[in-house]
Amino acid sequence: MTSHDMVEYRIAHLLDRLAREDLAELGVRVEAHGAGVLVRGGVSSPECRAEVLRFAAEELAGLEWREDVTVCRPGPPDHSEELS
Amino acid sequence: MIRVAAVGDIHLGPGSAGALRPAFATLGDCADLLLLAGDLTRHGTREEARVVAGEVAGLGVPVIAVLGNHDYQSDQEEAVAQELTAVGVHVLEGTGTVLDVGGTKVGVAGTKGFCGGFAGRSGSEFGEPEMKAFIRYTRTCADGLAGALRELREGGCDLRIALTHFAPVPDTLAGEPLEIYPFLGSYLLAEAMDEAGADLAVHGHAHSGTEHGMTAGGVRVRNVAMPVIDRAFAVYHLPGRVEAPAGP
Repeated sequence: MTSHDMVEYRIAHLLDRLAREDLAELGVRVEAHGAGVLVRGGVSSPECRAEVLRFAAEELAGLEWREDVTVCRPGPPDHSEELS
Repeated sequence: MIRVAAVGDIHLGPGSAGALRPAFATLGDCADLLLLAGDLTRHGTREEARVVAGEVAGLGVPVIAVLGNHDYQSDQEEAVAQELTAVGVHVLEGTGTVLDVGGTKVGVAGTKGFCGGFAGRSGSEFGEPEMKAFIRYTRTCADGLAGALRELREGGCDLRIALTHFAPVPDTLAGEPLEIYPFLGSYLLAEAMDEAGADLAVHGHAHSGTEHGMTAGGVRVRNVAMPVIDRAFAVYHLPGRVEAPAGP
C-alpha cells in the first residue's frame, strides 16, 4: 500500500495544497466521513468554492467524496446585538 | 449607545473588488465605527491590500484594523498596513486609538496576537529555540495588548475594546477540531484583557467556530470571522457614557 492509497495522507495533502497554492484557503475542513471523505466549510466567493472543489477532485481522485462548501453572504446584517 | 460593527477574515484580492462595498456603504446608518479583525487579504500582498483599502475608503465611519496571519504570508505586512493607513484606517499592533463617539471616548486596543493554546493545554517557553520563540512571540503580542488597554484606561476612555485576529478563548472555537485549538489562539490574550480590563473583545481566524464567548474574567468575546457571522459585518450595541445627573 502506498501513501497514495491511504486516505489520511490524501486528506493531509489536499489541506496542504489548499493552504499553499494560490487559493490560500485555511478555512475548509476535509475529514474522513462515512465510507469516504467530506469537504466542508464556508468560503468567500463562488470562484473560491470552484477552486476548492477542483483541488478536491484532483487530490481525492478514486476516493468516494462529498462536499458541503458554502459561499458566505456578503450582505449587511438584518439585526444587531444589545450588550448592556 | 455606541454601535460597533465588526468583521474579520474577508480575504479580499483582485477579483473580489467591490464585493463588500455595497454592504459597507450602509455602515453610516447602523454603526459608529468598523473593526476589521485581520485576514483582510489572501496572501498579504500590496496589490491585495489596495483592494481592501478601496472597499473601506471614505465610508464615513472610522475604521480600525489589525492584520491576520494571511496578511503576513508574503512578508509584506508593512506594505499592507501602509495601503490601509493611506485611506485613513487605524492599523493597530500593540497599540490603541481613541475615538470620540457623541461624547463617549471609545478606545480600541489591538494586536494580531498569535497561538499556543489555552490554559492547561498550551505550549510553553521550553526546549528548542524555535519553541521558545513561538511562545515568546505570543507573549509579546499579549503584553502589547495589555499595555495598550492600560493606556486607554489612563487616557480616560469610557469604553474599551480589545481587537485581535487570533482567539483569546476556546469558547468561540466550538465547531473547530479540538486538535487544532493550539493553532487558533492563546489564553495569554485573554489574560491580558482580564488584567488590563476591556468591555468587549473581538477576534476572527476561526472560520468554523461560533460567535459568542467570554473570558475567565467576564469580558464578552465575539468571533466575527465572516464565515461565522455569515454576513458582511456584525453590529454590537454598547452603552455609551452615562451623563452625570444635572444639579439642582
